[in-house]
Amino acid sequence: MQTPKPSAQVRKRDDIYAQRATTRLWQELPAADNAYITAQSRCHGYDLMALMQKRSFVEVLYLLFRGELPTPEEAAMLEALMVGFINPGPRHPATRAAMNAGIGKTAPTLILPIALTTLSGKHNAAGSLEEGMRFLRKQRRQPAQEIALQMLAETAHPAEGDCHIAPGFGSLYNGVDLMSTQVAAQLLPMPGAGATLKWGQQFAQALADAGLGWLATGVVAAVLTDLGFQPRAAAGLYQIISAPGLFAHGVEQANKPMTGMPFIDDEDYIIEYEK
Amino acid sequence: MKNNTDFWDQRRGKIFSKKGGWKIGQGVFNHGYSMMDDLVGEVSYMQVVMLNATGRLPERRLADWIEAVYICLSWPDPRIWCNQIGALGGSMHASAVASVAAGIMALDSRAYGTRPIIDGIKFITGALQQYNAGATPTDIIARQNTARGGKPQIMGYSRPIAKGDERIVAMERVTEALGFEIGPHMRLAYQIEEVFRSHYDESMNINGYGAAFMADQDYSEEETYRLLSSIGASGITACYVDQCDSVPNSFLPLRCDDIQYEGKPKRAVPEKNS
Repeated sequence: MQTPKPSAQVRKRDDIYAQRATTRLWQELPAADNAYITAQSRCHGYDLMALMQKRSFVEVLYLLFRGELPTPEEAAMLEALMVGFINPGPRHPATRAAMNAGIGKTAPTLILPIALTTLSGKHNAAGSLEEGMRFLRKQRRQPAQEIALQMLAETAHPAEGDCHIAPGFGSLYNGVDLMSTQVAAQLLPMPGAGATLKWGQQFAQALADAGLGWLATGVVAAVLTDLGFQPRAAAGLYQIISAPGLFAHGVEQANKPMTGMPFIDDEDYIIEYEK
Repeated sequence: MKNNTDFWDQRRGKIFSKKGGWKIGQGVFNHGYSMMDDLVGEVSYMQVVMLNATGRLPERRLADWIEAVYICLSWPDPRIWCNQIGALGGSMHASAVASVAAGIMALDSRAYGTRPIIDGIKFITGALQQYNAGATPTDIIARQNTARGGKPQIMGYSRPIAKGDERIVAMERVTEALGFEIGPHMRLAYQIEEVFRSHYDESMNINGYGAAFMADQDYSEEETYRLLSSIGASGITACYVDQCDSVPNSFLPLRCDDIQYEGKPKRAVPEKNS
């Protein structure tokens, strides 16, 4: 009799799975007469009702991820960052995805998930945040100008499209992203501004002659690094920060007729098959 | 180059497609084919999926092989992570489209699902180059240098939850029935599996099998990943439907104490000026 192939012998592993999911950030205490109903919620030990009375949304957001309440300087920094990048703007691909969903009469419940999914991309979007934080963490103890000059020497501007010399830094339409530069400039003198943001500013300035500088993702990555957030949380935080603007633009279109946005004419739709 | 916007100016208000499109009144065109004349009713859906993903219309049997893989990765079992997301969507009465899309996104995982095919094909194509240069399967495994707890961690070999993989047995049957030969990548994959079996009591998994097969068919890792991008959809749909047709919020209900809290004990919120 032929021995069965190893893949044919399917056996359950003796891995031990947790009996219960665990969390360090949220505690739900049950009602006395119903174990499914939450009578009290605590965030890292703080009663939710007390947080509502005494703390801002931004402070509790920080608490959720960091486990402790922020100092006033840290809270002000995060709040300013969230205002600065509350809306990627109506030309951003993620916003346009939201607007397409809105004008296309997609279920309003799905406008935001659609936009956030688009925002997951790696090109100056949430998908580059983790790498951006790791870049900043690695380089921030080196002289920014030296690193910039070295990277400029090693990087050729692509023949077409933008040059992203490092995650979070590069060109936008072949120019310097003025809005991100302004947001960074507004954050820098704040008491909560940290060493990473300051390093990023020096790095961006050293890139300026080449037409490169801060990108939105770089500013966010730098501030999140200074505030102590984990790189793996960065993409989602960037999505949270951008979500209000994305959804607002999408839902704005939802009541308009489908003719309310351009539909490219056939003569401007050019099919060029690959050879 | 600085502030030169020619590249974008040339594209403003225009769409350039290398794929095809709808010329209103003339027809719908796809990689040079007329969709309604050449493709609908003439080729299988999976052939068109592969055409759109790669630009090449494959022979029918290869699309049939891929369709069989789609079945292999679509189980109606909500314990699987992506399927559970579909079930939870059903339990919340989210839409079928939203729930299935959410489940498919979950398959974009480092650990299982769609994304590992990239590393799987990278491994086996690199391994064949090493093999052709004289390395043995044992050498190839050693060079991966990803051992954890004594066992090498190579994409395509061993799997979570169980040892062995019944999907390979099924796909071997499909491969043979469709008349595919065993190519050099697959031959090496079996040799590597033998090292895993004899040294570590592990076997190839469906990723390793699929990676070797697609490499033998000359598909790159990115092409294969793209044509598998909706894999899992039907299993997620099944799990969604199961729960959506049940009492809402009845899927795997959790009492408060079913989540183990391991964080800080109760504490007072400090005053802002403290």
